[in-house]
Amino acid sequence: MTSPLFEIDALEVAVEDKQIVNGLSLTLEPGEVHAIMGPNGSGKSTLANSLMGHPRYTIAGGDIRLQGTSVVDMPPDERARAGLFLAFQYPTDIPGVSMINFLRRAISARRGEEIPVREYRQLLNEVLGRLQMDEQFVRRYVNDGFSGGEKKRAEILQLGLLQPLVAVMDETDSGLDIDALRIVSEGINTFHSDDNAILLITHYQRILRYVQPDHVHVLIDGQIVESGDASLAERLERDGYEPFMERTKAEVLSS
Amino acid sequence: MTTATLDAPSESDIKPDDLRAEVEALSRSKSEPDWLLAFRLASLEQALGMEWWTGQEESWRRTPRDRLPRRARVTDFRASVHNANGRVTRVPQHAFTPHAHSGLIHKYHGDIVATDIAEQAEADGIIVKPLSEAALEHPELVQQWLGAVGQPLDRYDAFGRAIWTQGVFIYAPRGVVLDESLFYLVTQDTAAGDHWHYTLVVAERESQLSLIDAGDADDRRADLDESPLIHASVELIAEDGAQLQFASVQRWHRQTAALSTTRGRVGRDASIRVTTAAFGADLDKQRIDLDLSQNGGFAEIRGLFVGDGKQHIEHVTRQHHKGVGATSDLLIRGVLTDESQAVQYGLIRIEPEGQKTSAHQTMRNLLLDDGAGADPIPMLEIEADDVKCSHAAAVGPVDPDQLFYLQARGIPPKVAERMVVRGFLAEIADGVPDEHMREVIDELVEIQLEPARSNS
Ligand SMILES: Nc1ncnc2c1ncn2[C@@H]1O[C@H](COP(=O)(O)OP(=O)(O)OP(=O)(O)O)[C@@H](O)[C@H]1O
Ligand SMILES: [Mg+2]
Repeated sequence: MTSPLFEIDALEVAVEDKQIVNGLSLTLEPGEVHAIMGPNGSGKSTLANSLMGHPRYTIAGGDIRLQGTSVVDMPPDERARAGLFLAFQYPTDIPGVSMINFLRRAISARRGEEIPVREYRQLLNEVLGRLQMDEQFVRRYVNDGFSGGEKKRAEILQLGLLQPLVAVMDETDSGLDIDALRIVSEGINTFHSDDNAILLITHYQRILRYVQPDHVHVLIDGQIVESGDASLAERLERDGYEPFMERTKAEVLSS
Repeated sequence: MTTATLDAPSESDIKPDDLRAEVEALSRSKSEPDWLLAFRLASLEQALGMEWWTGQEESWRRTPRDRLPRRARVTDFRASVHNANGRVTRVPQHAFTPHAHSGLIHKYHGDIVATDIAEQAEADGIIVKPLSEAALEHPELVQQWLGAVGQPLDRYDAFGRAIWTQGVFIYAPRGVVLDESLFYLVTQDTAAGDHWHYTLVVAERESQLSLIDAGDADDRRADLDESPLIHASVELIAEDGAQLQFASVQRWHRQTAALSTTRGRVGRDASIRVTTAAFGADLDKQRIDLDLSQNGGFAEIRGLFVGDGKQHIEHVTRQHHKGVGATSDLLIRGVLTDESQAVQYGLIRIEPEGQKTSAHQTMRNLLLDDGAGADPIPMLEIEADDVKCSHAAAVGPVDPDQLFYLQARGIPPKVAERMVVRGFLAEIADGVPDEHMREVIDELVEIQLEPARSNS
């Protein structure tokens, strides 16, 4: 039997000695889209960053496996080259480093060999065009002075260029206007195939109308408290997290 | 006294009478006019009457003074192994040889080995000449501007005006605008010992000139018995409405103690922009002093450095405002690896007349290793009440979030660090007026980072 594409197995994550993710398990098969929804501070970004290996987050227990291989001991760059991708909630600006130089290095790293200049230009123009981004955009410094929406678009640009196996998208839909949301969603859909999987972190059901999830999970206090199909997102939109919070409280009290 | 240990072990061989005789012989050998000899001798007397330092001065307190020779000698370049019997045998390729220029002058073995000037620049009356020669051919100009920036700042600066073997005179007549930069290439004769450079740059009213002063060494691998001292006195004059850019890049022999004094006088609505990049010397101390006594002037100081080993890199600057509505800006960015150290002592001084001044300072130091350190000290002395001033100083490691972002895209940590560092310095390098020069600086940054990083 082949192993699943991506497995999060009883994962526990701590930040500065405070445990934020409490035994979370999730399995992504090729071709799947999973959505994670949860209130502010429930641990969504902590989960996302720890999957990518941010040094500030400590894995206190459990495992993360990509194609059956544990990645917890891999540094972030190795995870990325293996096919893991994180679209950041707040992309970091790096003044002085141009997008065009950065993207070329990133693609070359992911491929394990230098991408030829001509192929790079072609690929870049194609993906830029798809996202309706100006060519001049890549002359700018990485995320430096980008508007909120431009930053999110730049993350999708990278998704399209790097072709990861598993893409974790941390609130990529936040801060986008209506047109941008559609364009970004199309970018995600163009990327998505039967060979890769997406973990979409969001607060809003809006994006799920474009990028249709196979599974929706509710995250509260670093745990998945409910999983379902796309209709769960509609329920959340209507009723909020209150019912689930009540339940976790009750569970905590009874344990 | 605790500062005593910082001082050089002994006062070395200053013999006033010998020096006077040597300076006179030097000047005569170049057939310099009497007034130039008089200028040298007067400067020499000033120097002889001064102390090197007491160690209490703000501008000297933080310098590892034990690494700075207290020495003033007229160098005998004929004794150098690179200069057999007083004949220049071979001029080594200079790392900064430009692709294009409006004028070029190259100094080696204490004298000028090449000069070149573009046709147009020559027709426009641009002067790029050895100072002794300019003094003979354009006495009225040289005499007018020699030492016009003011009294020497200290003993080194005073000696600097006296004992140079050959200086350089750069001049742009009124209204002339140069399209390409002028280049002053200096090759350090490592076997010869100390070098004293004297450079006088004058931009007449409404003219525009940019000068790139680039230092390289003829033998960077030589193992020297004694640390050479390189002192450069640079005097920049921008008359009313003129725009003068001066970029200095050096990679001297690693055992060198390099000291420079760059002074600028900014005329009414004129500008002086100074960019420096320090790479080579063991100790590099730059004094940059820009005087804005006229209304509406603009002065800019940009400094970039990458330190490794035990290098000490120091900037002592003054933005001196007296004119109304003048602007000045200082931006220093450095990267320190291994056990290298940096000091920035930057003073903004605004006299009571200096109303509507806008003066700013930013000093940022990136520390890449635990042993590295930096001490940025912005100072404000403000006597006018209607001014805008700001200062910011920072010392710290590379931002871990920036590193993580790059790593999350598959870029290995060492490469990511270098990208961030080069980006950090790019903002300064981008201000250098010549594209080829920017590329060279970028390469030097890379070279300087390479060995230091691969050790760890
Ligand atoms: N570096 C940190 N230091 C201290 N606490 C942290 C750190 N990072 C996260 N936390 C805490 O962990 C908890 C979860 O934060 P996280 O950012 O993962 O939430 P989130 O679900 O992504 O929220 P949002 O919807 O607002 O983005 C919060 O209480 C937060 O304050
Ligand atoms: Mg978050």
